[in-house]
Amino acid sequence: MYPRTNSAAPGGCEDASGTLPQCAPLAVPYVPFQQNSPNRYTQQQALASGTLFPGLDLPFRVKGEMRRDLGGPLAELQALEFVLVELALYLDTHPDDAEAFALYQQYADMERQARSAYEAVNGPLTLAAAAQGDSWSAWLKGPWPWHPTEGGNS
Amino acid sequence: MFSYEKKLQYPVRIATPNPKLASVIISQYGGPDGELGASLRYLSQRFSMPYPEIQGLLTDIGTEELGHLEMIGAIVHQLTRNLTDEQIRQAGFNAYFVDHTTGVYPTAASGFPFSAAALGVKGDVICDLTEDLAAEQKARVTYDNILRLSDDPDVSNVIRFLREREIVHFQRFGEALRLAKEKMDQKNVYFTNPAFDK
Repeated sequence: MYPRTNSAAPGGCEDASGTLPQCAPLAVPYVPFQQNSPNRYTQQQALASGTLFPGLDLPFRVKGEMRRDLGGPLAELQALEFVLVELALYLDTHPDDAEAFALYQQYADMERQARSAYEAVNGPLTLAAAAQGDSWSAWLKGPWPWHPTEGGNS
Repeated sequence: MFSYEKKLQYPVRIATPNPKLASVIISQYGGPDGELGASLRYLSQRFSMPYPEIQGLLTDIGTEELGHLEMIGAIVHQLTRNLTDEQIRQAGFNAYFVDHTTGVYPTAASGFPFSAAALGVKGDVICDLTEDLAAEQKARVTYDNILRLSDDPDVSNVIRFLREREIVHFQRFGEALRLAKEKMDQKNVYFTNPAFDK
């Protein structure tokens, strides 16, 4: 009664659409289920768009696009971590999508490496990483994230 | 438990202070549809939610919302730095200034302080998830309205990111509701409340 197998088999929906049951009980709301293996942006495009999935990218067009360059070492790390956040939410409701889980593992590896490289130059991002520094002041050293020069990019 | 990551989810670098804009964006810090209420709603609903996928989703979205709270705080902080005498007298910001100077306080733009009355934890599977769908829509509209009021691309880019997150969260809560219904009485999903009835 509630199909959730969203295979990309012939007859599946287009990427920006999802599946609904043919017949469904009355008096409950329905959101279409996103199908397995949806199209994806690169990590930089994903961070700039606010979603990894083109099918869910539904902007508000009150004013022209003003997207700026998110370049820089911190934005690179943020992009990798954003993909992990987005995939985690997707996997919570699609735990059987093996391809998405493999992608999650792949991005987790990339994030680990990028994080080590970033911390080696810019200092610890977590209390656990603070133990790697020469002294506690590495953790306290600014700028803290809410500062306008956050991430050392002035 | 939670531990801190010393960075934002998305970069916030605002070149030009604008206290008037800060005085409306503060609503997403402590207003009725803001990020503080969002995180408390989801992180509190988890406890009675019976299904592991949805416990996971509420945890993961609730945690992301805490990161969004920090981003909104960063926007307000950066928009209110180095203010001139003239800027603190500006209509729209002077009322906030007299109570909080340039501290970041959880309040609605209309001046009402943060209230848990704007969020729901009903302890019922369908009710809580339906509340979450509505909550994501309300936050999305607040961001639409902030985009109408902002002329600063440094601000609007961050707001666009946060707005898009509301749409993705809406989709995931909709899917969670579908998963929940699969596990409930197939003839009548209202027959019991699996968050209470064993």
